[in-house]
Amino acid sequence: MKNIKKTIILILALFSFIQAFPQDKTIIRGRVVDKADKSAIIGANIIEYDSEERVVSGTVTDVNGNFVYTMVNPENIVKVRVIGYNEQTIEIDPASAIVIELTSSDVEIAEVTVTAEAQTGNRLTNIDERDKASSSVKIDLVEMHDAGIVSAADALQGRVTGLDIISASGDPGSGSQLVIRGLSGMGNSQPLIVIDGIPQMRVNRNELDISSANMEDISELINIALQDIKSIEVLKDAASTAVYGSRGADGVLLIETHKGRMGKVQFDYTYKYSLNYQPPPIPLLTGDEYIMLQLEEWHNSQGVFDVPSEIAYDRDYADFYNYSANTDWLGALTQNGMTHDHFFKVSGGGDKTRYYTSFSYVDEGGTTLNTGANRFSTRINLDYHLSNKLMFSIQFNYNRNKIQRNPGVWTSYGAVYPRRAAFTKAPNMSIWEYDENGNPTGEYFTPINSYQGSGATFFNPVAVATLGKHDEVYNSLQNTFILRYRINDWLTFNETVSLQYQGQKSKDFLPYNAMGTDWLDWVVNKAEEVNGINYSINTESQLLFTVPIRNESHYLAGSAAWITRQTASESINIQSNKTPSVNIQDPAIDAQVNYIGSWSGESRDLGGFVSFNYKFKDRYLIQASARADANSSFGINNRWGLFPGVSIGWRFSEESWLDSWDFLGESKATFSWGIAGRQPGSSYARFATYGSSGNYIEGAAVTPSSIQLSNLKWESVVSYNLALELNMFKDRFYLKAETYFKTTYDLLFNRYSIPSSSGFSSLGYFNGGELENKGWELMLDYQLIKKDNFSLSLNFNTSHNVNAFKDLPDNFVTERDVSIGNGQYPKRVVEGEPIGSFFGFKYLGVWPSDQDVKATDADGHILVDGEGKPIPFSYMGVYNFKGGDAIYEDVNHDGKIDLNDVVYIGDSNPDFMGGFGANLRYKNWDFSCAFYYRTGFDIVNMVALDTEGMDNRDNQSKAVLSRWRVQGQDEPGMLPRAYMNHPCNNLGSDRYVEAGDYLRLNNVKLGYRLSRTLCNKLGIRNAAFALSARKLLTFTNYSGQDPEVGQNASDPFWIGQDNANTPPPKIVTFTLSFGF
Amino acid sequence: MKLKVKIIIITVLLSVQYSCNEWMELIPPSELIREEFWKTKEDVNAVLMGAYQSFASLDGSLFRYGEIRADMITYDNNLGNDERDVMEGNIYADNYMCNWSSFYRVINYANEIIKNAPLVQEIDNTYSDYELQSVMAEAYFIRGLAYFYLVRIFKDVPFALEPAESDDAEFYLPKTDGDEILQYIIDELKQNRIYATTDGYATLEEVKGRATKAAYDALIADIALWLFDYETCIEYVEKIQQNPEYTLMPSTKWFEIYYPGNSLEGIYEFQFDANLNQSNSLYGMTNRYSYSYDPSAKALEKFAFDYSSKELYRGEDASIKKYGEDDYIIWKYVGRIADGNTVRTSSETGSCNWIVYRYADVLLMKAEALSQLERYNEARQILDLIRDRADVGSSEIANTKRSFEDAILEERCLEFAFEGKRWFDLLRMGRRNNYERKADLIEIIVEKVPSTQKRILASKLTNPLGWYMPIAENELESNNALVQNPYYKF
Repeated sequence: MKNIKKTIILILALFSFIQAFPQDKTIIRGRVVDKADKSAIIGANIIEYDSEERVVSGTVTDVNGNFVYTMVNPENIVKVRVIGYNEQTIEIDPASAIVIELTSSDVEIAEVTVTAEAQTGNRLTNIDERDKASSSVKIDLVEMHDAGIVSAADALQGRVTGLDIISASGDPGSGSQLVIRGLSGMGNSQPLIVIDGIPQMRVNRNELDISSANMEDISELINIALQDIKSIEVLKDAASTAVYGSRGADGVLLIETHKGRMGKVQFDYTYKYSLNYQPPPIPLLTGDEYIMLQLEEWHNSQGVFDVPSEIAYDRDYADFYNYSANTDWLGALTQNGMTHDHFFKVSGGGDKTRYYTSFSYVDEGGTTLNTGANRFSTRINLDYHLSNKLMFSIQFNYNRNKIQRNPGVWTSYGAVYPRRAAFTKAPNMSIWEYDENGNPTGEYFTPINSYQGSGATFFNPVAVATLGKHDEVYNSLQNTFILRYRINDWLTFNETVSLQYQGQKSKDFLPYNAMGTDWLDWVVNKAEEVNGINYSINTESQLLFTVPIRNESHYLAGSAAWITRQTASESINIQSNKTPSVNIQDPAIDAQVNYIGSWSGESRDLGGFVSFNYKFKDRYLIQASARADANSSFGINNRWGLFPGVSIGWRFSEESWLDSWDFLGESKATFSWGIAGRQPGSSYARFATYGSSGNYIEGAAVTPSSIQLSNLKWESVVSYNLALELNMFKDRFYLKAETYFKTTYDLLFNRYSIPSSSGFSSLGYFNGGELENKGWELMLDYQLIKKDNFSLSLNFNTSHNVNAFKDLPDNFVTERDVSIGNGQYPKRVVEGEPIGSFFGFKYLGVWPSDQDVKATDADGHILVDGEGKPIPFSYMGVYNFKGGDAIYEDVNHDGKIDLNDVVYIGDSNPDFMGGFGANLRYKNWDFSCAFYYRTGFDIVNMVALDTEGMDNRDNQSKAVLSRWRVQGQDEPGMLPRAYMNHPCNNLGSDRYVEAGDYLRLNNVKLGYRLSRTLCNKLGIRNAAFALSARKLLTFTNYSGQDPEVGQNASDPFWIGQDNANTPPPKIVTFTLSFGF
Repeated sequence: MKLKVKIIIITVLLSVQYSCNEWMELIPPSELIREEFWKTKEDVNAVLMGAYQSFASLDGSLFRYGEIRADMITYDNNLGNDERDVMEGNIYADNYMCNWSSFYRVINYANEIIKNAPLVQEIDNTYSDYELQSVMAEAYFIRGLAYFYLVRIFKDVPFALEPAESDDAEFYLPKTDGDEILQYIIDELKQNRIYATTDGYATLEEVKGRATKAAYDALIADIALWLFDYETCIEYVEKIQQNPEYTLMPSTKWFEIYYPGNSLEGIYEFQFDANLNQSNSLYGMTNRYSYSYDPSAKALEKFAFDYSSKELYRGEDASIKKYGEDDYIIWKYVGRIADGNTVRTSSETGSCNWIVYRYADVLLMKAEALSQLERYNEARQILDLIRDRADVGSSEIANTKRSFEDAILEERCLEFAFEGKRWFDLLRMGRRNNYERKADLIEIIVEKVPSTQKRILASKLTNPLGWYMPIAENELESNNALVQNPYYKF
């Protein structure tokens, strides 16, 4: 017992010793002053470092320059650091108050800034951001994190002049289309994305999704967690993109991620919950209205007819219950989605090491049944200073993206997706099958033949969306190693090696019970799998210099770099038919293998780059760069391309004669010129190839499969840019105005059609023609109120771009699809006119009665034939118009509607686009909103064309309820009559061309930040809540579901069509974030 | 130290620069490129086989072009709209049958051989003059036959004699007059005939499936007949007659022309052998379950027992076959024996050859030429030879060009039913003597047209340009130099 007491006492004694130790802590106190004028320095950092130079803890000086600091370990070193002064180590003397006198370091700071800036984003040049004379816009994303934005593309939309961003589709995991300053090439223009100086691979989704026909890249922008992004800079003119040589022709987005910062370890966590829902769809006919319409269509075209039992309301019909429903197919396919977004980061560092690590997980629910996406990503940025001369950093990034979509069904019209099918599916058919007594059978109703036709074409969209699958998985990994060596005061050497790897996989399966087909039909139980990998290795050796000229009037810096890049990709694709069970969805299992294919390819680039940056008196700026690029797509004759860029600037605000203009802040005028280039996508296109084509009798057969391209050369984009940048009223008012002129020479056409009398249908690539883009941009920022507790700022921007074909290739035929017919728009390209002009008939309404149909000449006199009889007004001489038919303008007054009556009816290019917004901060509250607009363009409303034609068995929109029904009926806005297989009631006309102008409230946010004192009480660093909404309101006259229709420049005959993709959902988000 | 670093950097940069051109040269991993091709005679032979193979794969098209607008077939439920439209004379430039690209693909292969084979001989020492010339002769034959089809289908077409090897080639060719093309081709064939083999092939398949002297003679005779150059036609048919290798099959073995094929009668046949993965399209187009092409009412009248046909050897169960009540099919490409019962075994379904020329064909060509030269007795002899073989008795024909023309046309219709000959025979009749009998041709064309449109179409077709196909829309869209056949311009 005694022993136990002794032991306890002993233990207590030991504890008391341990407890007693901190009482012996070192407390230092003192005051920090300026050495020159002995004034107190407020906010100087007192930082304690351990023996490894890691930051342990620290404090700051108060308003009198005083500090008190309790040291964690008296062995450690304490330093004083404050911007504008030289760092100083404190001699620890707990006994007395220490007075620290700091010397100012104003000159060196500026120099440090120069090199530091040169390392961010656009690392290849050695130019201070402030001195940049080329055209670029930088968006700081730190401010925007709490807004309801999901991707970087969202953050940029409406914020950057000259940048047109269109979401490809509202489905989760869809990319966005980005076009900088108009369409400049015949490829799928997408800017180059550079993350922390490393150009990213571009992976084309089309390679993966063979069944999909839409032009949609998997945007690298969605592969990076939004919260990791510090800023995005958009390079617009060739003087700035020339740095990226051959790959910068479509503009460049420079993304900079967060780096570790010196200081204590910081943990931050953000959670976002979003509710996604769709704008209301076009109202479609109910089952009963549909049946009435169908009966009328038949009656008008056939007179007396046998009513098909599906629309006959025949109670004895076995499928009566299956064909008497009122199904809202679109509604059944639409759901509300939920998104959970978790983000966690750790950052910190000491003098030698700085680190930043983040993890993010986003689970996004789609607004179409069975669509969704989830993404996991992690990023590590690590900087290590071995000495003050040698530094290396490591960047590591991994992400996994899983996208779940609806499968497409192959029909004679190409791949049809459930959403598209839902627009035209007969609404009198039920989703679920009933027996003849009206009892549900528990199966989807998928007849092999329905009133509309084959069950493989007119499938049950709900069944296909639910039972079919199309999953895509992307795994990507990027590892970058950077070594920086400061050779001397004016010379720095950088070596960067970066490896990128991406693996993709897509799986498709469509079970037979989702479709109305025989269970051995080709389209069902078809399993398909595509696997692909891409990798690339980039290296960059760079020498940066700053010439140390003592004379302050001159400044000369520059860089030289050698860049190599090699990429390779391979893929394998396997497709099987007739898998034995709907549960066997793997194409490699015991099925009839239909197709196995594999593909591999490689490409290589080399580039040499030099740049100079000269500044005289900090006022006159001149920057020049040149990059020579070689690409493996070209033969030896055209392999190298030279891409120079020159920009000059005048910072007139520094001129002494403007000193009297007190309101003028730093302002400059700049002019730039440059050339950027574009190369073909394939390294092998230039070769004439021969492939095996089976055999004849017993001899093996080889035939030529492609034509040699000996004239293949670089496409080049020459651009001029003139800009004026003004800062006024103590930097509260900012204006940037720019105008540019950009011409693309030797346009690179992919798969250029040639006469088949050559034995081939197309050339792999072809250079020819000129495309021009010109326009202007304006950007305004105004800080209306700027107080400690209250601030309000407004911003506005607008841009205008006009594009035109200046010159078409010789032998280019300017007309396509001239065999006019229902639903077809004849296509034309006119030299000197923009891409994307619509041509078609002029629609003038509906003939009220048979007697009203007259063919007239220009003066309105009735046209007569040789015998004086009125000639019938006809469609191409094969059909005479009757009452209730559409009136088209007979432009040439020959009594015939034919190709000669086709006129210009619209243009798909916006005249103006831009955005405006406001930011308001009051105490702990903040509010922001951002609008986006696009005006002056037209859209072909293909959905209306499909749902207002009344000439087939498709479901139609409610608009057809006001249609012509009886002779003499003449109402304003009435649609033509219902008529089965009418030859010309639904021709491509201006009837479906609508103005697409819209104004959209892109983002709106209300946030609250916990006060510092409250945070301290709770033991956290900060905490914030926000409620935000995305795309909440859209103001438009467009009658379709969404006027956001993308541009597609891969085809000179492209016209903007609304094809009923999933519209971008409205999203309401609640955000919670805190750090400690 | 600094200097050292600089020197190292500069050296590294220079060495990288030096080796970069080699580094940039990427060769396709899985394909042959021209730089590696055209090195040996085997390369030349492989392209020659490619040309034959791709021509053979046109068998379905040759059937359609030779039959669809004529009167021996009609459509069934599964036939596509494009083919139906052509049958009904409702032809627009977006119809896929206006696409001539597959013929030009063959022509381009032949052009490649004609250009490159002599260059290969300069490299390949084992390549004898004899071998080179016979390969060249085959290429000329393939090119000539392809152009002959094109001219008969489209009339005036682009005339390419150079291969499209690189993007420097002249792609944008205008149309050349059809007769001019044929004149060039016939001269070229006459010149090269001496290089064509007579006995150079090891197997029967090669003798029948590749261009021989006899194939040359048949093609020259056919083109000459089309150009109404009767003397030449007779001259070249006689060359075949002098050749002991070719003779008419006896009556009882008439169906052996089709199964097993390559009979004594065959002069030039595109070879198919399903066992070698070379299947024709004809089985798929004409078998019982394809429901695409059926014998027309006229064909039934001539062949079906129910219509009291006199055809014993060529009639029902040989040319056609009856299933059930009214379901007739074409039997030539489906059957194994002329019993209307034994179908081809599954491994042979696609093995039936496409016969381009056979002995009976050239004999009747000669008869036609003779009768046009008013050498009626000689013509009658040939006609009787064919009729005797078919066991339908000799013919009573008045000694006029017109009655001989009709009799020969009728005989060809029976003998070569569904062999892709009928439309071209009719076209030759319609063109003869400055469209003397165009009304007869038009009557046949409008037979299948819906009654409401018969009259309109008949009056439109008095313009002979309507007998040819329009140029496909895509072709016009990729070649500014082409002008659409005026008949189809509206």
